[in-house]
Amino acid sequence: MAKSQNIPVIEFVEVDKEYGNPNEGGQVVEALSDATFKVHRGEFVAITGPSGSGKSTLLHLIGLLDRPSRGKVYVDGTEIGQLKDNELASLRNRKLGFVFQQFNLLAKTPAIRNVELPLVYQGISAKDRYERAKKELEAVGLGDRLGNKPSQLSGGQQQRVAIARALVTNPSLLLADEPTGNLDTKSGIEIMKLFEDLHHKGVTMILVTHNPEIALQADRQIVIRDGKIEKDVKNGRS
Amino acid sequence: MDVVELFRTATMAIRTNKTRSFLTALGIIIGVGSVILLVSIGTGLQSFVTKEFESLGSNVLYISPGRVSFTGGPPQNVEAKFDFDDVRRIGEMGSPITDASGMISRGVTVKYRNKSFYGSIAGVNEKYMDYGNVKIGKGRFFNKNAVERSQMVVVIGHKVYKELFGLGREAIGKEIDIAGIQVTVIGVLEEKGGGFGGAADDNSYVLMPVTAAMKVTGIKKPAAVMVRTESPEATALAAKKIKDYFYRKDLTDDDFTVMEPKELLSSINSFLGVITGALSGIAAISLVVGGIGIANIMFVSVTERTREIGLRKAVGATYKDILTQFLLEAILLSVLGGFIGILIGSGLSLLMKNFIETAVTPGSVMLSFGISCAVGVISGLAPALRAAKLDPIVALRWE
Repeated sequence: MAKSQNIPVIEFVEVDKEYGNPNEGGQVVEALSDATFKVHRGEFVAITGPSGSGKSTLLHLIGLLDRPSRGKVYVDGTEIGQLKDNELASLRNRKLGFVFQQFNLLAKTPAIRNVELPLVYQGISAKDRYERAKKELEAVGLGDRLGNKPSQLSGGQQQRVAIARALVTNPSLLLADEPTGNLDTKSGIEIMKLFEDLHHKGVTMILVTHNPEIALQADRQIVIRDGKIEKDVKNGRS
Repeated sequence: MDVVELFRTATMAIRTNKTRSFLTALGIIIGVGSVILLVSIGTGLQSFVTKEFESLGSNVLYISPGRVSFTGGPPQNVEAKFDFDDVRRIGEMGSPITDASGMISRGVTVKYRNKSFYGSIAGVNEKYMDYGNVKIGKGRFFNKNAVERSQMVVVIGHKVYKELFGLGREAIGKEIDIAGIQVTVIGVLEEKGGGFGGAADDNSYVLMPVTAAMKVTGIKKPAAVMVRTESPEATALAAKKIKDYFYRKDLTDDDFTVMEPKELLSSINSFLGVITGALSGIAAISLVVGGIGIANIMFVSVTERTREIGLRKAVGATYKDILTQFLLEAILLSVLGGFIGILIGSGLSLLMKNFIETAVTPGSVMLSFGISCAVGVISGLAPALRAAKLDPIVALRWE
């Protein structure tokens, strides 16, 4: 809590990302160039853009799953360029919560155990893990589904479990990649409602989507096209 | 990741695919099971041989006329180039030799009333019982007095008793006929369990004071000499003294053989050890095959669970976490197989104990356990490394 509110949760400074190794004769593809932006605590940002625009690259960089080719990426003030893989893993674990389009829950594993997973890698005791995971599942309205396996849950419920898993570590940032992409309209609306509630509780969120309607629910939109940030605007809320 | 959670994750993966896990472990089960069984048979055989030899007394040496090779057995009808005087002198040599007794033997027909039996007459002295090879069942053994006076008394083997008198009949005090000479039965030997080699022959023996036997058979030279030493360790020294004695009498290695049971035993045991080792080695090939099976299924498992690995990495699993998880899974699979293999091998070994002597030693169990751990590590390493090296971005996109 001592952390200053002024330090952005995520800061990109002139970040480039290239794929392909010219030394091996491969063609170099610039997936992202000169990306500079900040995301502050409590913000709800939507990243949009057509497929192939560099959205996924940006997502991977924010998610600390990849490193920039040039430029600097800060997470809570920590520059990640010099960090080792293990330190990145630890940073992902503590600072980030992932929500995927495909849910990515462990099959044949009860909801509660799925939610506990990030805490497992923090070395937290089984009892504490259980308590925290249970609380998180209750918060997303699945308090009566702790022992259910993913196959026994609807798509919307599975995504709720995934959200609970993302939040169980109290991350600085919730990173959602097309969270409603695999859901029917009704479940999609429910999930978006949940995100909105989380936003009001002060959770910082970045949501990657190609759906403009969903993007409008965020209070800021970063539009990316051809590897460049085309627009970075506040959504006028009605 | 704490140890409990690691084990929980690894066992869960094994439990979710029970059939596959069992089939994968089968190679290890068969390998460890057969190694355990074969080693237990080998060990049992060794301890059986050792016991047989120990019943002869480990501080006893044998002198045989002629050259005895272990492969050809004792030569028949070799007239000794030494006599009972030599035996007496050897017995009186002093430390480490305590005493020596010569014996003679020959096949004879013994008769009682209308029954006859073809057995072996063995002329021995009163110390024969001390060598511990046979036990008196009924009556008594002859004493020093009987030997000195060439008394015509005999102690008969169990089979001789059975054939001549019939079980349950009184034999002590009865006179039997050996080559036309009447001798008195004063004792009957306990029945000796059949088994290895000549042990059963003791049942066909007719034991007589050596002096009396010489008269009956006309043999003047000893057929074998048993020499006792102060301790089992002293047999080598005693053997050397005996050889020197014979060499001084201008006898050569072709004229006599000094046998140390201890030496014979160790060469038989090392031979059995080699056989056991070779058989176990062949059985261990299935361990290699089992290891390959585990590696194979672990590769399949890593591929199947690519997304899971990507997810685990995304939520904070390190290289080491993933490596340990998959390595432990392979080790558990292999150790589980090893454990079942040990149970099955020991079970079969117990079953075989009804027919031959077997012994499952803690050593072979621990060795099997260690080997199955090692097989798990070796076969799990490559798949686990592949899992740990997966790029989370690629892994999460995996279909």
